[in-house]
Amino acid sequence: MSADVRVGLVSFAHIHAESYLNNLLKNPNVTLVGVTDDDAARARRFAGRVGVPVFATLSELLRAGVDAVIVCTENSRHTSAVVEAAAAGVHVLCEKPLATTVQDAEHMVASCAQAGVHLMTAFPMRFSAPMLTMHQLVRDGKLGRIFGINATNQGECPHYHRSWFVDPELAGGGAMQDHIVHVADVLRWTLNSEVTEVYAQSNHILYNKEAPDVETGALVSLRFANGTFATIDCSWSKPAYYPTWGGLTIDWVGEGGFASMNAFRQKLTVYSHQNQRAALTSWGSDANQAMVDEFIASIMENRTPKVTGEDGLQAVRIVQAAYESARTGKPVAMQA
Amino acid sequence: MRVGIVGSGFMAAVHLNAWLRTDAQVVGLISLDPPSAERLAAQANARIYPTLDALLDYVDVIDICTPTYLHHEHVLAAAAKGKHIICEKPLARTIQQGIEMIRVCRESGVKLLIAHVVRFFPEYASAKEIVERGDIGRVAVMRLTRCSFKPGGNQPNSWFHDAEKSGGMMLDLMVHDFDYARWIAGDVESVYAQSVSGKDPSAPLDYGLVTLKHRNGALSNVEGSWAYPAPLFRTALEIAGSEGLIEHPTGSSTPLEIYFHKKADAQADIAVPTSPLLEDPYTAEIRHFIQVLEHGAAPRVTAEDALAALAIGMAAIESARTGQPVTPVTNGDI
Repeated sequence: MSADVRVGLVSFAHIHAESYLNNLLKNPNVTLVGVTDDDAARARRFAGRVGVPVFATLSELLRAGVDAVIVCTENSRHTSAVVEAAAAGVHVLCEKPLATTVQDAEHMVASCAQAGVHLMTAFPMRFSAPMLTMHQLVRDGKLGRIFGINATNQGECPHYHRSWFVDPELAGGGAMQDHIVHVADVLRWTLNSEVTEVYAQSNHILYNKEAPDVETGALVSLRFANGTFATIDCSWSKPAYYPTWGGLTIDWVGEGGFASMNAFRQKLTVYSHQNQRAALTSWGSDANQAMVDEFIASIMENRTPKVTGEDGLQAVRIVQAAYESARTGKPVAMQA
Repeated sequence: MRVGIVGSGFMAAVHLNAWLRTDAQVVGLISLDPPSAERLAAQANARIYPTLDALLDYVDVIDICTPTYLHHEHVLAAAAKGKHIICEKPLARTIQQGIEMIRVCRESGVKLLIAHVVRFFPEYASAKEIVERGDIGRVAVMRLTRCSFKPGGNQPNSWFHDAEKSGGMMLDLMVHDFDYARWIAGDVESVYAQSVSGKDPSAPLDYGLVTLKHRNGALSNVEGSWAYPAPLFRTALEIAGSEGLIEHPTGSSTPLEIYFHKKADAQADIAVPTSPLLEDPYTAEIRHFIQVLEHGAAPRVTAEDALAALAIGMAAIESARTGQPVTPVTNGDI
């Protein structure tokens, strides 16, 4: 008899799947049952490296007997995979954004609740060491009341990795769909308050050839029920030759002082003859590992994971309000 | 060139230091505060005059370093005597005042040069050149940060704290970056702002986040703060374009980091961002103004530019109050 959690990985469409595969292999309580992917060659490429079986379909993977899956399909395909897994009584960790529409996200949350399985949204920032320190500082009241927050989650255009990231159907949009949710989620979590109003402006100047059909630059303003306001720059404003993928920063202005967080500053600058340019290599703690470990622990301990499907749903609502605001040019109210 | 300075506060002292590095002669000043006026007069070997009218008779150029709400009155007085004018930013406290100042100066045939000094900070000027050269393609998303503590925190009745007089943080501080954003990406068609402003005038609680939508489609995020603990002063700029990116994060203007065991004697009252330079931006600005006045050079910043920056500031204040995006008045509307 083994207490191990039997886990499957669904799709390598999202680039984070590669890191989750390694995270699963590093978790001593996980038996990695196998992977599945619409793109069988891609699955064999990643799984083959580590000697993990490849299943032709999700239902075959589920029939092989798994307790849990991590879903990393294209954004708009999360729903069908999650609902199918839930129907089989399997716990789910789903890549962000949870879905590309509010209806899909609600359907996923309801399906998992009905099946009695966990639905965890992949928000690794909740497990980032700098973010956890920042969270505690705010929760301990060290900054007093938080007045305003200026945040960025910028990156390169991810089409270099997977072309679907710039497909409006599969991704549900561009930079806003990709980069609002991480910051929006940690702000909800840390402020312990919900967003009541969203204002967004977007444009299409960066990467307009590589991403012809989706927004590539955007500034999104949030107002929270507790009075705090925030702006998120979610633009794909880093060039493809930038020394790293991008970054995430949050500056906090409060009654008691000011704090600046650069979540990915723990990096070495590396110059190599081979690259002929500077590259940044992270030495910070692995938030993805901590997130996957929490998912597994929540299953073993039969408790709600620290990040839920509701959290993912709320982030989807914020993203959709941002799209509506960008379309109408007006602030959009949300129910707190 | 004979120069008169109106005021003897922080910016008057900064401008005086700049004038002293040029061939121009500061002949006199007026001020409501005798002790600081005497200090500056001694430094420049200049006279203190009892009234602006008296001073104006002895100068070619008047340099107005008074609180914002007085710019209008002082500019009109100088224009009436046919004197060229240098005036601190923002142009005026209201758009109507600004329009009238520009009209009267034009009619009087005097130049009106507004001290939007950020255009003379080498990192900002250099970024402008890079954008103009086309090195980063079309500007898409710009980020401008200017965050410090509340000026005049040690003076309970400072005019900075009176929004009627200063316009508050958005007009006094953020107007720098409103002007710069417009210099880089052109006219602004919509302004959305969120801000907090303390009820207690000395409380360090002014903070604002503004989204500008430029007519050419570019977006700017402008952050301004009088909410930092003194003596923090952080500036940053980032311009992302279709063909590249310029980054100038906070801290990169400070090649020196110096810490003493001894605590600083007095808390600073007002701050300007500083970086070690062979010629400081204020002197570069004054030298440029001399070129404009004596040799007819085209001004790097026009009074109309200053009016447009003021209009963005007024739109930001309005948006923060109403929660709705606001279209700023532009020169075309006037």
